[in-house]
Amino acid sequence: MTVQSAMPKCWNEETKPHKFCPGCGHGLVLKALGQAIDELGIQDKVVFGCDIGCSLLSWDFFNVDTIQTHHGRTNPVITGMKRANADIIGVAYMGDGGGYAIGSQHLVSAATRNERITSIVVNNTQYGMTGGQMAPTTMPGQKTETTPYGRDPETTGSPTQGPEMVAAIAPEGAYVARGSVANVRQLKGYIKKALENQMAGNGFSFVEALSLCPTNWRTNAKDTWKFLEEDMYKYFKVGELKVPGSQEKEGQ
Amino acid sequence: MVIGSRIVEAYVGEYASGKSEVAVNRALELAAAGRLVTLVDLDVVEPCYTLRPIKRELEQKGISVLAWETRELIGLGETGNILRAENRWALRRPGDIILDIGYGVEGAKTLALLEDADTDPDLQVYAVINIARPMTGSVADIVQYVLQLGGIDGLINNSHLGDDTDLAIVQEGSRVVSEAARELDIPVVAVTAVTELAELIGPVDSAGHPVRKLVRYMPRTLW
Amino acid sequence: MPEKPIQGEKKVFVTGNEVVAWAALAAEAEIMYGYPITPQNEIMHYWTRTIPKFGRRFLQTEDELSAGFTTVGGVLAGRRAFTATAGPGNILMQEPLSMAEAMRVPIVAVVEQRGGPSTATVIYSQQEVTLTTLGGNGEGLRVVYSTATHQDLFDYTIKAFNTAWKYRFPTFVLADGYQAKMRESVVFYDPAERGIKMVPTEAYVGRPGMPGVDRPPMHMRNTYNMEEELYEVLQEYLADYAKAAPEIEEHEAFDTADADLVVISHGVVSRACKMAVQELRQQGYKVGYFRPITLRPMPEKALREVAATAKQFLVVESAQGQLARLLKEAMYGGTAEMLTLFKPGVGVTSEEVVARVKEIKG
Repeated sequence: MTVQSAMPKCWNEETKPHKFCPGCGHGLVLKALGQAIDELGIQDKVVFGCDIGCSLLSWDFFNVDTIQTHHGRTNPVITGMKRANADIIGVAYMGDGGGYAIGSQHLVSAATRNERITSIVVNNTQYGMTGGQMAPTTMPGQKTETTPYGRDPETTGSPTQGPEMVAAIAPEGAYVARGSVANVRQLKGYIKKALENQMAGNGFSFVEALSLCPTNWRTNAKDTWKFLEEDMYKYFKVGELKVPGSQEKEGQ
Repeated sequence: MVIGSRIVEAYVGEYASGKSEVAVNRALELAAAGRLVTLVDLDVVEPCYTLRPIKRELEQKGISVLAWETRELIGLGETGNILRAENRWALRRPGDIILDIGYGVEGAKTLALLEDADTDPDLQVYAVINIARPMTGSVADIVQYVLQLGGIDGLINNSHLGDDTDLAIVQEGSRVVSEAARELDIPVVAVTAVTELAELIGPVDSAGHPVRKLVRYMPRTLW
Repeated sequence: MPEKPIQGEKKVFVTGNEVVAWAALAAEAEIMYGYPITPQNEIMHYWTRTIPKFGRRFLQTEDELSAGFTTVGGVLAGRRAFTATAGPGNILMQEPLSMAEAMRVPIVAVVEQRGGPSTATVIYSQQEVTLTTLGGNGEGLRVVYSTATHQDLFDYTIKAFNTAWKYRFPTFVLADGYQAKMRESVVFYDPAERGIKMVPTEAYVGRPGMPGVDRPPMHMRNTYNMEEELYEVLQEYLADYAKAAPEIEEHEAFDTADADLVVISHGVVSRACKMAVQELRQQGYKVGYFRPITLRPMPEKALREVAATAKQFLVVESAQGQLARLLKEAMYGGTAEMLTLFKPGVGVTSEEVVARVKEIKG
């Protein structure tokens, strides 16, 4: 029996402990990503672009080349890089605001053009770094700083179904899945497939990761997991939505 | 009015090859000979830029001009892709018809928007060539370009360098365009040059192609 | 290896937009990212028509934000990359340009100015001077070449790539809708045959070696935790810019030594001013001509020298004082009177300039 190292090899030990809040889901998503990078042996090929928001705190997380972009602009930066040098394995890492609000046109266009990049959106149902405002993914009735009486779908819309949208518009060759930090092993599998799909040159590879934000949710450990596994799972279904060459898996 | 066979000519070619200049001069030449002439602007990409600014002036010289007027286009904001409805029926008008077509291969396709373009027995489509244009600078480039345009009945050598034009560029143009025409097995319909150069060449150039004198109207438009 | 786009020298008759596309080809630009907006479209048209033959690339993006950010990505990957825009597109382009400034990413952007504000017009204008020289939420750490002729457009598009890559500041080539569509003759040349060596490019990210083992990982930053960190970075950038400025500054001038009045203009308007000054000189007026070619950095030293002898300046522009504002900053403390001929968004003829000078001089 071997003891699994707590840290993926491609993590930068010098920048640990990381800068995220205690209980934040980012560390788990980045662990899944780190394990996938290690298993594929692509640490020297990955260029990691991080958005603005809490995702930015990952800028020195790995021993890989990284780029801090602007809010919502990580997909185009990584797209431009990949178009200029196809040998790079480009990862665009962002929150739900960067992915589905300010950067939605870039996500839609990268998906429809089947850009050969891997895009990861961390969904924690609100804007964390700016202090807990409503995000595209905020659930009906959920209280945030800008929906103090709970999100009213009549006036503010319903939670964005990101992977469902990407799966609907991306051409064949794209990979789309939604994972959760409640199942890091499965999430790692999705992210690994998303990276492999890019390496195979098949198409756009998209993973949404359902995550945790106890700080802005104001939840203790027990309630944090309850929020994810009871409330969020009602609106956001975990699973693969689009896998190249296997139409029957769609909508799982 | 002089009764003669109906002249219907469409001028196509590379962007900035001189289509409008050649078309305007041709229309004026026919009108000066007492013929009934309609000049049609079919540049749907840049309708604001060529015939429009000199429309009134041309009408005073006795030709009918089918083109947008500035005020009609206000509100579009941009130089939009737009076909003037009346222009679509231009081939049904009496007398001679001179068509100034938009640029390039897509421009040449504009002819398809014209009623009767596929059946009009008199319609001749001429490609205007300026060898100082980078995309049509050599025999091989011209042949390839004209084949892409498709359905071209003749070439016009309009080689020039704007204000820097000299006899050498016109004559070099004649040589190159003639060779391209031979390869394409279509005639060189004319050589065009500003009056002072045209007079130096005479009524026909060394290869026997008719020389048309050009008065430059385009510098008075936006270009 | 694909053949060179331009071999030797060739005099051609072209539009301004075509000049830019051919100059970028000649400058060995490898990839263009762009979004359609009049009047720059034919840059993309001619780029996409010619590139298969020369092994270059193009991406049409979803908007100018993306065009700018993909260009940044292309440069970070080590390619000589560029984009082109105008008007409202230039507004959006300021966001990626701000990131390029923050990371010293040498992107090249061609701006064919439109009338403004807003969508306005697409032909004659110099109303994007403020935006192009000082846009973004920063200190204007960029280079702006204002072109007057098609030969300028060819020469300075090539030069823009070298300035950008040598000094690592984003670099603009400024023209307007009139120049974009205007036709005139120009000499195309292979830069190598004129002794112009293209500054080599290099990748910022994705270099050889295992990050963290063979080399430190490259972290491209534009965000800082502490004010002091940002201040330190900016001090270094500002010092670099100040050092580079005298090497980058360019201007064109004549008849200024004994001139009472110097006409100052830039870009397409300077064509009319040049004719006007020549005509006025023939009529015995003591007038001179000055044209900043770089609007950022301003050719401050040359301007101050002229300001030391001339009593009056006549600033002529197709804008309401956007050039004049830059000149005032550059010549602060000078005693020359600054007179103006502003025609925002419309053309200026030499006759108008002559008339204005005669009005001033009586």
